[in-house]
Amino acid sequence: MNNNNLLKKGRRMGDLKYMILSVISVLTFLLIWQLLVIFGVLSTRTIAAPTQVLVTFFEKFYSTAPDGATIFTNIAVSLKVSLTGFFSAIIIGTPLGMLMGWYKPLDRFIRPLFEIIRPIPPIAWIPLTILWVGIGLGAKAMIIFFSAFVPCVINSYTGIKLTSQVHVSVAKTFGASNFKIFRTVGVPSSMPMAFAGIRIALGNSWGTLVAAELLAANAGLGYMIMMGRQFVRPDVIILGMLTIGILGFIFTWIFTKIENVVVRWRTL
Amino acid sequence: MSMEQKAGTRLIVKDVSKTFYQKKIEPHHVVDKVSLEVKDNEFLVLLGPGHCGKTVLLNIVSGLMPPDEGSVYLDGEKITKPNPKIGMVFQKLGLMPWKTVIENVEIGPKLSGINVKTRRERAEYFIDLVGLKGFENSYPHQLSGGMKQRVGIARAYTNDPEILIMDEPFGQLDAQTRYNMQNEISRISEHEKRTIIFVTNNIEEALYLGDRIILFTECPARVKEIYDIDLKRPRDMIDPEFLRLRKMISNNTDLAL
Amino acid sequence: MKKTAAYDQKRRPIKKILNSLLPFVSITCLFLLWFYASNINPDLVPSPASTWERLIQLFVKPVNKMNLFGHVWASLQRVFIALACATVLGVTVGVMIGWSKTFKAIFGTLFELIRPIPPIAWLPIIIMWFGIGEFPKILIVFIGTFMPIVVNTYTGIRLVMPLHLDVARMFNASNRQLLFEVAIPSALPPIFAGIRNATSSGWMTVLAAEMIASKAGLGFLITRGMDYFDVPLILVGMLAIGIVGALLAIITEFIERLLCPWNKKLEQD
Repeated sequence: MNNNNLLKKGRRMGDLKYMILSVISVLTFLLIWQLLVIFGVLSTRTIAAPTQVLVTFFEKFYSTAPDGATIFTNIAVSLKVSLTGFFSAIIIGTPLGMLMGWYKPLDRFIRPLFEIIRPIPPIAWIPLTILWVGIGLGAKAMIIFFSAFVPCVINSYTGIKLTSQVHVSVAKTFGASNFKIFRTVGVPSSMPMAFAGIRIALGNSWGTLVAAELLAANAGLGYMIMMGRQFVRPDVIILGMLTIGILGFIFTWIFTKIENVVVRWRTL
Repeated sequence: MSMEQKAGTRLIVKDVSKTFYQKKIEPHHVVDKVSLEVKDNEFLVLLGPGHCGKTVLLNIVSGLMPPDEGSVYLDGEKITKPNPKIGMVFQKLGLMPWKTVIENVEIGPKLSGINVKTRRERAEYFIDLVGLKGFENSYPHQLSGGMKQRVGIARAYTNDPEILIMDEPFGQLDAQTRYNMQNEISRISEHEKRTIIFVTNNIEEALYLGDRIILFTECPARVKEIYDIDLKRPRDMIDPEFLRLRKMISNNTDLAL
Repeated sequence: MKKTAAYDQKRRPIKKILNSLLPFVSITCLFLLWFYASNINPDLVPSPASTWERLIQLFVKPVNKMNLFGHVWASLQRVFIALACATVLGVTVGVMIGWSKTFKAIFGTLFELIRPIPPIAWLPIIIMWFGIGEFPKILIVFIGTFMPIVVNTYTGIRLVMPLHLDVARMFNASNRQLLFEVAIPSALPPIFAGIRNATSSGWMTVLAAEMIASKAGLGFLITRGMDYFDVPLILVGMLAIGIVGALLAIITEFIERLLCPWNKKLEQD
């Protein structure tokens, strides 16, 4: 018994060791980066030191240079665009996928159209969308919609196709109507897959947002880094990249929490 | 040589205990002071209910897991890590899905660096013996449950172990296949004499196969009783003596097995 | 029971015919809509005929000295080079951080910190560092393909069944053998899935890179269409992008089937 306790203690010590190692590795990375800039190995015209990025971060609280907006305005603009596209894709895509998976005629009607759209990456829609809709919120939201729509449809479609026939038969023996079975058996059982699709959609929409803003915008985080390049402000570029990364990370984290609540029976 | 042993004894398990901790605090005793001896070339059956303790005991005997207390000796040497003299047929098989039947069977000699020609020959011999000729190049997922179990048996034999441990090998098969496989293992073990430690929770299976049966208690696993089975082979499941033994063992167990 | 079955069968043919017609109906609807829209505003929505004409023209009068195939090849080349480098490096890194806790502590954390940044967000700084030549574009696509390969390889190695490792240990396998005989082969299906994801992600990234800074490739072609208000050219480009993208998906899946014949999941799909 003693032996086992010791083992457990040893393992915890090991975990701690690896944690310290990770922290050291990240700090070393930052330090080398800082030193390379300080000693002029890397030019400040092409890269900014970590401390400089931090300073710029606080400056951007009120400063609007070089892109004409503070960092919060940029974040707000980007969020508005991406969330609009993302949520409209969920609201339209997920139910559509489920209905297609359940009702054969609908599947046969929509599937060909969907298969035509599917292989075209959302970014390829940018020129057409700009010409059709302009470069406002609607255009970018539409591009993000394309990027999030496809995984939402595919996954909820696959999810509902995988509904256990036993569950369906059980519901049938209780005399439930087809729509009722769809609602009470099909939809819940496809939830884990649907959520997996929404998770992909989330990543896609955030990645596509940047592309949309690089190409066609007058505000937003993507626009900010594009302007950073034009005005040779590597600090602004890196700040923008980090902000995009951190926000993406936070979204995924929040989403995982929601997913765990909604489909907590999944692992049972 | 750290342990004296009687003539004909291969393996000695001495006072082995193992405890796991559930949720980090609750102690869960799975093996409690188990001592037993395995004789050379015998078919020893470990019979016990449920899924408690026996697999852990086997993992300790095979050297995959260290005991908390006690030791296991093979020919007088203490076991601390897996030993090529001991082979194992796993309950859940563990066939590698990316290897074909013959690649699975020859994995033992391959890992010990034996050349292709020799190991192929040996693998083919045992594939033939377990009745899988013609399936050498199939993948495991193309085989039925009983056939997969045969691959697992051939794999263990191909490494040429002196002691073979079989952990409830037929637990996941349907009744008919299970019955066939019992016949098969009986035939194979007659053909290729080895010391076999066979774990099961089925009394008929134990009586049908074993030279000796060690009956375990439920959780934690302790040795409850040892039976020498002198029935002649091949055994007959409706022989009066067989039925008498069956009744005797069944009366001695806590649960209906 | 039998009676209803027979009844069902009698009723079925009409339904079946209707069902099999539906895909054609939907495609026809799409074309009708296209014709209708192009009638209303031919500048914004060119008719199928003028799109076809533009396609032919692309061969007669190449854009930037390259016909359609030239541009397709320019894009593909970038993806292939990046994908090859990303596969070699990504699998190596993924195996290392999946197998060794020390490597995971050192590189895994850094990787996790960089990963949430979408590959396209690297574009401005990479252009700043390396200009707009061929190398920066390949580098961007490399970032886009490297990430999914590392993630999938890592997950695959972590998900190796402990039972398989035990089996090999039972046969006295060394640590090296455990890695090369058990862990890596069992991770092959997820690794290939990663390569498949990487291919589609790379295809998308290359377009983005070409749209922002390039003189060749399909991404350049559609931006050129936008700049010159040449909508038929955009449509031709999008069609080519879709077709090549679909072909890439089919080819990677075919290679995957060929190399992982035991992978049941693919067989069932």
